[in-house]
Amino acid sequence: MNRILRVPHLLLLGLGVVLSGCSGGAATTANPNGTTVTAASYTGPAPGTADIQAFKVNLWQNINTPNRCGNCHKAGGQAPMFARADDVNLAYNDALGVVNLAQPDQSRLVIKVAGGHNCWLSSPQACADILTTWIKAWAGGVSAGGTQIQLQAPVVKNVGNTKTFPATANDNGAAAFAQTVYPLLSQFCSRCHSANATTPQTPYFASSDVKEAYANAQAKINLDTPDLSRFYVRLHDESHNCWVPQGAPAVSCPQSSAIMLAAIQAFVDGIVPTQVDPALVLSKALSLYDGTIASGGNRYDTGVIAKWQFKEGTGAVADDTSGVDPALNLTLAGDTSWVGGWGVRFGPNGGEARGGAASRKLYDLIKGGGEYSVELWAAPANVTQEDAFMASYSGGTSARNFTMAQRAYQYEMYSRSSATDANGAPALLTKDTDRDAQASLQHVVLTYDPVNGRRLYVNGNYTGDLDAQKGGTVGNWDDTFVFLLGNETSGNRKWQGTIRFAAVYSKALTQEQIQQNFAAGVGERYFLLFNVSALTGVSQAYVMFEVSRYDNYSYLFAKPTFISLDPAAKPGSIAIKGMRIGVNGAEAKVGQAYAPLDTTVTDANYTAGVGQRLSAIGTVIALEKGPDSDLFFLSFDQIGSQTHVRTEPAAPQPATPADKPEASQLGVRVFSEINASMAAITGVSLNDPGVKSTYTLVEQQLPGVSTVESFVAAQQVGVAQLAIQYCDSLVESPQAATFFPGLNFAAAPATAFADTTLLIDPLLAKAVGTNIATQPADTDVRAELNSLVTRLASCGAGCAADRTKTIAKAACATVLGSGAVLIK
Amino acid sequence: MKQVMHQSHARRAATMAGVALLAIQGLTPAIAGPREQARRLHDRLAGVPPTDAVLTQMASDIAGGQADAAAQLAMANKNFYNVTLKNFVSPWTNRDRTVFVPLNDYTATVIGMVRDGVDFSTLLSADLLYVGNTAGAPAYSASDNAHYQYLDDNNVDLQAALQPATQSGLLGLPVAATAGIMTTHAAAQAFFINGTNRAMFRFTMINHMCRDLEQLQDSSLPPDRIRQDVSRSPGGDSRVFLNNCITCHDGMDTLAQAFAYYNFDATSNQLVYTAGAVQPKYLINSDNFKFGYVTTDDRWDNNYRKGANQVLGFDAALSGSGNGAKSMGQELAHSDGYAQCQVEKVFRAVCLRDPGNAADRQTVQTIKAKFKTTGYKMKQVFGDAAIYCMGN
Repeated sequence: MNRILRVPHLLLLGLGVVLSGCSGGAATTANPNGTTVTAASYTGPAPGTADIQAFKVNLWQNINTPNRCGNCHKAGGQAPMFARADDVNLAYNDALGVVNLAQPDQSRLVIKVAGGHNCWLSSPQACADILTTWIKAWAGGVSAGGTQIQLQAPVVKNVGNTKTFPATANDNGAAAFAQTVYPLLSQFCSRCHSANATTPQTPYFASSDVKEAYANAQAKINLDTPDLSRFYVRLHDESHNCWVPQGAPAVSCPQSSAIMLAAIQAFVDGIVPTQVDPALVLSKALSLYDGTIASGGNRYDTGVIAKWQFKEGTGAVADDTSGVDPALNLTLAGDTSWVGGWGVRFGPNGGEARGGAASRKLYDLIKGGGEYSVELWAAPANVTQEDAFMASYSGGTSARNFTMAQRAYQYEMYSRSSATDANGAPALLTKDTDRDAQASLQHVVLTYDPVNGRRLYVNGNYTGDLDAQKGGTVGNWDDTFVFLLGNETSGNRKWQGTIRFAAVYSKALTQEQIQQNFAAGVGERYFLLFNVSALTGVSQAYVMFEVSRYDNYSYLFAKPTFISLDPAAKPGSIAIKGMRIGVNGAEAKVGQAYAPLDTTVTDANYTAGVGQRLSAIGTVIALEKGPDSDLFFLSFDQIGSQTHVRTEPAAPQPATPADKPEASQLGVRVFSEINASMAAITGVSLNDPGVKSTYTLVEQQLPGVSTVESFVAAQQVGVAQLAIQYCDSLVESPQAATFFPGLNFAAAPATAFADTTLLIDPLLAKAVGTNIATQPADTDVRAELNSLVTRLASCGAGCAADRTKTIAKAACATVLGSGAVLIK
Repeated sequence: MKQVMHQSHARRAATMAGVALLAIQGLTPAIAGPREQARRLHDRLAGVPPTDAVLTQMASDIAGGQADAAAQLAMANKNFYNVTLKNFVSPWTNRDRTVFVPLNDYTATVIGMVRDGVDFSTLLSADLLYVGNTAGAPAYSASDNAHYQYLDDNNVDLQAALQPATQSGLLGLPVAATAGIMTTHAAAQAFFINGTNRAMFRFTMINHMCRDLEQLQDSSLPPDRIRQDVSRSPGGDSRVFLNNCITCHDGMDTLAQAFAYYNFDATSNQLVYTAGAVQPKYLINSDNFKFGYVTTDDRWDNNYRKGANQVLGFDAALSGSGNGAKSMGQELAHSDGYAQCQVEKVFRAVCLRDPGNAADRQTVQTIKAKFKTTGYKMKQVFGDAAIYCMGN
C-alpha cells in the first residue's frame, strides 16, 4: 500500500534537507536560457492557454524535432502524439498523459526514456534528466502546490543467514583463525600491531596472545566478501607493509595480498553459515533500491546553461543535462574514475573531464549578460595541493576566461574581464586563516557580475573575500577556449578530488539561490522504510531513514524517523533503545551511532504523515557488496515491549609483554643534574654570575636524556666547559681555602704542588666519594691527576703568576667533568 | 688569556671524562653494597651526589633494612624538587614535550603535591595551585609566567618556597570549573589554545594514562558524539574515516566535550571559562558533516568503559559520565591505568629504563597497589621504585 505525502511546510522539520525545499514545489519558474533547439517553425493554432504556452516553450519545441520524440510521436505517428508539430494544443492534450507536473522526474515520459527508450544521447539517464528539466520548467510556470513524495511500502523481506565469527580462535580445526590468518599476522604485522612492539599500534591483531589477536582481527575480516577484508585491501590496494614472500626476490604486494586472501578464504570456508542471531530484535530487511527515491530537491536552476550530474557511472562521457543546446558533454581522460552515488574522481596521476567545441556555448550565453556563476559540489582529496584547477574555461596556463582552483586551504578564482589581464589575474584568493577549502564534500559557487566582480560562496555562505579588482566587462573573452574539470587544458594543473555536480549559469546567483541549491544537496538518496509493525503492534509502522551513497565506500544513514503509513495510526508510547544498523545479516562493526539511542515515541510527539524524528545524528556505514546487493536491517535492544539484552564482550586481556633486551643499569646525569651536582660538589652557587652565564650557554648542549648510549662528544665538551667555569669560580673565590685546606695558591707550582694530596684529596672526597666500589678507584684517579699536575707544572721559570690557580682549576675540572660525576 | 686556557683544559677534561665514562660502564653493579646502593639511590632521587655524611647515614639505613628511610633522606635534598621532579614534570606541560622549559604553575603544582603527599588521584580535578613564597618574586598572575620564571631564574629552593593556594582564588575560576593541572595557566596555554580542545585530551592521555591515541584506537565504539568538523569522507574516501578517524574520535570526542566551556585567549594570555556557553571552537567547520554531533553543553561520557579500553580499569564506583573537566579528570585519575602510568613514569625516571622483565612488571604492580591503597602518595612511589633499582 502506498501513501501519498503532500509535503507542506509543516513537514520541513520532519523530513529535513531533502524535503525542506519542497514547500515551493517545482519552483524553478523561469525558462532555461538559450533554448537554441532547432524546433520546426510552427504554423499551427496558437496555444489556447498560458499553460499550453508554457508547454510549448519549455517542452514541446525541444522534443518535436525528428532527432528526438518528433520522429515517432508525431501527427499520425505513434500514440501518444505529444510531439506532433501540427497543433501544439493537441500535443498538449496527449502530453498531459505522460507527464507528472507535481513530480517531474516521475513522469512516464522520463521513466520510459530513463529505461533506455530511444535516448538521443549515449546515456539514457542524461536524456531523462534533460526531459525532467524541461518538464520542471513547464511546471514551474503554473504549479503552485508542493512536491509530492510518495512513500512506497517496501516488500517484506526477512533478514537472511550469514556467516559469523567462531567463538574462539581455535574453532574449526585446520580452518581456525589460529591456523590460517594468525600465522601471517604474527609473522608480518607484529612489528607494529602488538603491545610488545617498539611503537605499538592498535589494534593488536598480531598480539603474541592469539585470543587478543583474534578479538582485534575480527573488524578487519569480511566474512561475506573476503576480498573486502582490510587485511587484504591494505596489502593489495594500499601496499601497506607488504613482505617478501617465500621464494620471491623482493617485497611483493600482489603476492603478499594473495597469500593473505588465501588465508582469509580458508578461514571463511571453514565457517558454516549460521542463522542471524535469533536473540536479536530485528526489523524487516531491504536494499537501497527498495527505498523510495528522495528526489525533488528543489534546486534553483534558472539561468543554468550547462550542468553535469555524473549519473552515468560508466563510459568516458559526462553528459551536459542542462537541456540547453548544444550539449557541452565532457570527455573523461587520464586518472579519472566514476564514483558511486554520482560523481567523478580525479586521481593523483592527473585526470580531466574536457569539453569540446560546444564550450563556445558558454561564451555565447555569458558574453551578452556579462555575468555568470560556476557551481560545484566538490571534495578535495587533500588540503596540500596548490595550483590545482577544479574548473577552468581556458586555453593554457596563461590565458583563460575563468578558473576555479584550490590552493591548499584556500580557493582561488581567476576571471578575465576589463579589470584583469588575459589570464584573469590578479586572482581572488580566499583568506588563508579562514581555511575555506576542506578535504570534505563542499558546495562551492563562484559568481561574477560587473559590479562586485568575483564572489565565492562555500556551503551556502559568502566567504567575505572582496574582489579588489571589482567587476568589468567580459568583452575580451576568447570564444576558442575549452571548458574542463580537474585540470588545465595544458594538463599541468591537476586537481585531486571528487566532483559530484557541476553547473554553469549565465547569471550571478544570489546568496538565497545558492543556499537553496546547497540545501537541495547532491547525489542519489532514498527513504528506506524498515518495517517494525510486528515489533510495535502499530499498523504499517516503520523506522524510516534517509539513505544515500556517501561515496564509493559507504552509505550515509540520516534522519531516523518513526512513521506509520496508516494516517489513523497512533503509536501510544514506544520506547526505542539501542538501535543498530545491520548489513547482510550482521550488525555493522563500525559506525553504530544509534547504539546509545534511548528515546520514546509518543502520541504527543508523533505527527501523522510526518512521524517522529528519533535522532539528529547521521552516520556512515561501510558499503560491502554494493547498493544492488547490500541488504540492510535494524536491530533494537528495545522497541516497545520487545527487548534484547546485549552482553558486552569482555575486553581482551593484554598479552604478557615479551621481555625487553637487558638495558643498562647506569645512566648519565642530564643537564640540570650536572649543573646541580657541580654546584653541590664545589659549593659554588647556581646563581654565581659566571656559572649562570655558562650554564645558559651550554644548557641544551648537555645531555637531555639519561641514556648512556646516546652520550656524544659534543655533550662532553659542554660538560667540560661548565666544569671549568665551576672550578674557576671556586678557585677564584674565598671558598677555595676551605675546599683545598693547606693549598697555597699564591706559591709557585713547584712549591704549591710539592704535596699533591692537598689538591687531589678534596676532589676525591667530594666529587668521587670514598669507599664506593662502583666509583673509579682512588689510585687510578690520583695517578691521572698527578700526571696532569706534573705536566702543567713543568713551566720552569716561565710560569705565570697565577699558574698554580690554573693548575688547580684544571685538576678540579678534570674530576668534575669526568664520568665519576656524570654517571649515576 | 683566560678563555684560551679554558679551551685547552676543556679538551683534556673531555678526554679524561670519556675515559672514565667508559671505565665506569664496564663495572658490574651486581656487587653493590650499602654504600654503593646509597650512592645510586641518592643519585637517582636527588640527581646529585650525596655528601659523605648523608651517604654514610643512608648506607647505615640500608644495611639496617631501612631503605625507605634512606630514600626519604635522599628526597629531603632540595634537588629532588628543583631538579628531579622539575625534569619529571616539565615535558607534560608543552606540546613539544621538551624538558627545556621554565618552571610554570603546572610544574610547581605537581612538585608541591608530591612534597606535601597530596592525593595524586586529584591531580586532574583539584582546586589547587602552588605558588612560591619568595621575597622579590612578582605576584602570581593569571596572564603570564613571570612569578615562576623568577623562581626558576633565581634557583629558588622549591622544597621550601612552594605554598598551596587555590585556582579559584588565583585564576578566578568557579570551584566547579577547576580541574587540577588541566586548568593551570601553563596547560591552558599549551593545550586550550586555538584548535578544538582535543589537544588537552590527547596530551592528558599521553602524560597521565601513558597512551597516545594510537594506543586507544577502537572502531567498535558508537560514533554518535563525533563533532561536525570531522569529515566522514576525507578527500572523498570514507574508508579513511571508517578505518582511522573514527577509531580515535569515537572515544575522544565524548570525553573532550568536558572542555566545551574552556578556551585560551591568546590576546589576554588567559584561560577563559564560559559557564553554560559552548566555545565556538566546538562548532567550527560544521559543514564538514552536517549530521555530526552539535555540542550543546559540557556533558562527557566515557566510551572507553566498553570495548578494548576497558583494560584501563575505570572505577566502578564512578558513573562514567558527567559534566565538565573536573569530573572527567576524576574519571581518568581514578582508573587503574592512571595509577599504572604514574608508577611506570617514576620507574622510568629513577631506573632509567622501562620495566623490562617479569620481576620489573611485578614490582610495578606491587608499587601500584601500594600507591592506590595508601592515598596515592607519589613520594612513596619514587622511593619504592628507586630502592628497587638501587642495585644489589
